[in-house]
Amino acid sequence: MSTRIEYDVLLVGGSPSNLTLAYHLLDLAKASGKELYICILEKGKEFGSHIMSGAVSNPHVLQKIWPNYKEIGFPIEATCTESNFSVLGTEKKWDMPSFAYPKSLDKTGYLVLTLSYVTGWMAMQVQEKAKEVPNVTVDLFTGFAAHKVVFEEGRVVGVAVTENPKSEEDYVYGKFITFGDKGFISRDVIDHYKLRDCPQIWSVGVKEVWQCNESYEGKVWHTLGWPLLDGTFGGGFVYGMKDNKITIGMVISLDSHDPNMNPQQKLQDYKKHPWIQSMIKGGKLLKYGAALLPEGGYYSLPKKFAVPGALLLGDALGVLDVKHLAGIDRSMECGYVAAEVLHDALVKGDYSEEALAPYQQRLTDSFVIKESYNDRYFRWAFMENSRLLADYVPTIAKSIDNSSPFMGMLQIGLKNPFRAIGDGIRSLSLIEGMKDIGPIKYKPDYQHIIPEFVTPKYDEPPYDKTTIYSRPDAVFYASTKYHEGNLHIDEYNADVCVKCIGKYEGLGKTTPCVADCTAEVHRIDIIADVRRHGMSLENCVHCRTCEIVCPEVNLRVKPTEQGSGPDFMGL
Amino acid sequence: MAGPYEIFVLIKQVPDQGSKAGLNPDGTIDRAKAKRMLNPFDRYALQAALHVKRTYGGRVTAISMGPPPAVEILLEALEHGVDRGFLLSDRRLAASDTLATAYALYKTVTHVGKFDLIFCGLQTTDGDTAQVGPQLAERLSLPQVTYCEDFHLDDGRLHARRIIEGGVQFVDCVAPALITVANSYHPLAYKSFRGAWRVQQLQRNPEELGKYIRTVDLDIIQADPERCGLKGSPTIVAATEKVGELGGNCSMYEGHAPDEMVGELIEKSNLKEFLVA
Repeated sequence: MSTRIEYDVLLVGGSPSNLTLAYHLLDLAKASGKELYICILEKGKEFGSHIMSGAVSNPHVLQKIWPNYKEIGFPIEATCTESNFSVLGTEKKWDMPSFAYPKSLDKTGYLVLTLSYVTGWMAMQVQEKAKEVPNVTVDLFTGFAAHKVVFEEGRVVGVAVTENPKSEEDYVYGKFITFGDKGFISRDVIDHYKLRDCPQIWSVGVKEVWQCNESYEGKVWHTLGWPLLDGTFGGGFVYGMKDNKITIGMVISLDSHDPNMNPQQKLQDYKKHPWIQSMIKGGKLLKYGAALLPEGGYYSLPKKFAVPGALLLGDALGVLDVKHLAGIDRSMECGYVAAEVLHDALVKGDYSEEALAPYQQRLTDSFVIKESYNDRYFRWAFMENSRLLADYVPTIAKSIDNSSPFMGMLQIGLKNPFRAIGDGIRSLSLIEGMKDIGPIKYKPDYQHIIPEFVTPKYDEPPYDKTTIYSRPDAVFYASTKYHEGNLHIDEYNADVCVKCIGKYEGLGKTTPCVADCTAEVHRIDIIADVRRHGMSLENCVHCRTCEIVCPEVNLRVKPTEQGSGPDFMGL
Repeated sequence: MAGPYEIFVLIKQVPDQGSKAGLNPDGTIDRAKAKRMLNPFDRYALQAALHVKRTYGGRVTAISMGPPPAVEILLEALEHGVDRGFLLSDRRLAASDTLATAYALYKTVTHVGKFDLIFCGLQTTDGDTAQVGPQLAERLSLPQVTYCEDFHLDDGRLHARRIIEGGVQFVDCVAPALITVANSYHPLAYKSFRGAWRVQQLQRNPEELGKYIRTVDLDIIQADPERCGLKGSPTIVAATEKVGELGGNCSMYEGHAPDEMVGELIEKSNLKEFLVA
């Protein structure tokens, strides 16, 4: 008979939020002398292998925790010296003057980061710090995911560390558990306590890292327009990094009307733009990856940030701010605040829900929720008025190619002056948070799909074929590796899939799961003359897009076992 | 003699095949820089040893020879459920060929003590000789079952199935015996959380860890240094040659049904020539 393994704090997910929490907790315990047992679970085979982000980030929270981060080897790819916001036509690019776009998009002075390296570095810092603090024990486990949440008497008490736990040996417990995952497991906590009235909405980020012939270090572009000219919310980004490397990526909302929106191919279309072609010509693709971003913002936040025995951090909470294109600093702030709240509770020996209440209060008073509140209608502004993205942006994009963006604006103005001005005023005031329209409620992303949607056709600019990658080829650059017998995506009902496939086939299309997959996982097999849903799970990069876009809510992506999955090191 | 058994398993740390880091420009391995891993063939031996322990009872001892970082694979073995480990580490062992290695391991095994079964991997991924297991059996005057892909024990008697060209062979022998486990045996089960947890606790307490993992050198095992390392190795590597860049053309066949795609593959390749009607 084995006894339970119980820690004081059990951190689920090797995320920047959790690692910040662990580090700050070590700091606090060093000062207080409080004896602590801390455990961190990371499903990847090493810290950072399952995490990716843009990323250009404000180092203000980083500075609070590691004031000398520049001297102690914090991995910085570049410091942004030139921040642009541009609109792309199919051929030309227009850099908007800085007064014309929200200040939140100016990233000058921020750090361009490779989040996988940052996460690896943070884990190392935690390990090193633990050596200085003899009263704290930190156990880091890589290759172990939390698969199930254990609730006891209304309290979160532990997690199962295998998919099919057989005995007490397969569980680990914590007096407090912090969830810093991307929803793989924290959604069970949110569902259990019914914390979310307004569903979370998601975007998928796809990105490639390229080795170029020239240096673009410190240059940052965020773009609108090509190739998203069908009304889908999203945009592209290019970040110049040291050693002649650049990051090219797109963030595309999964509430697209297009049932066959292929994010990986959209990224290829993006790369076909002459401006990007000129940068990557003769270069080499180094890495590819994809991940989801929770975009709901303020109204998608859970009602409570803490439940008995557990805290939600970072993406588990959904603190990413689309308007600011920022998530990392917000996640780290969650970890920073959580560490102080947990330390207070542990010192007092108070394990009650009330002891965790300051967590939500302090976050609400911090920039994290305050800015999220200001930007609460940002996504909604584009959702309630489809003309912004489906009409105005394409018109301006077209005019950039043909004459000048101002011609496009003039065209919009002349077409329907009153409507254009009205749209402008309302959208701007929503975007800037100046107009209050009360609480909003999003529809789940898949409900936005219009099966009959017709995508507008555009002439592609000429491009170099060797710079464009098919989806199966791109997967190679995500370095996925799975154990034998891996089954990490559940399909609830095969007949539902057969019907869905039939429906889309009738429209001359394929299903959203097959089309939108970022890694060639979903496929259609013909077995005994029936078209069935099949999966090549060994390709999966864990982005969870299929689960979000499945029109029948018939799929569930679970964390993998045995450290299997992609290797995002370098993304 | 039925269980419990005293089981030894011989494992080796090799450069990680998956990582390109640590390759010298001439294609040889820079062992200091290369990422390291447990020899993939040894995973089957480890599984076999743990299987005996779990099925018949006993104690598993992992034995390795290599530079000090090789202790990592002994820790990994502990995570998987091995009871203790011995690492033979000595600078005088550098550049040992199979003859010298088998001698050093023979001395280590006799130093560690009595045993009923010794499991070895088929071969390593860095040497690929498959000689050390059989040589060790000869030195220990043991019956050996090579290329073993399945076995069971029956009152101290080993019934094994081994691979031979064109088929399999069933052999019996009496323990103590040495078995080299083929890679068609069961793959190593993933480490348990409990095992990983235990090793984390041990690593924090060097004194306690010393009870489970012991490092020995040539003097402790009373081996003759003249018969080890470069001096004890008659093998001479005359030259190594780098094979040119590998590569080829890849064609993707797309379709929704296996017969469709297989049909296309047969049509477009020279597979037809090999197909029997």
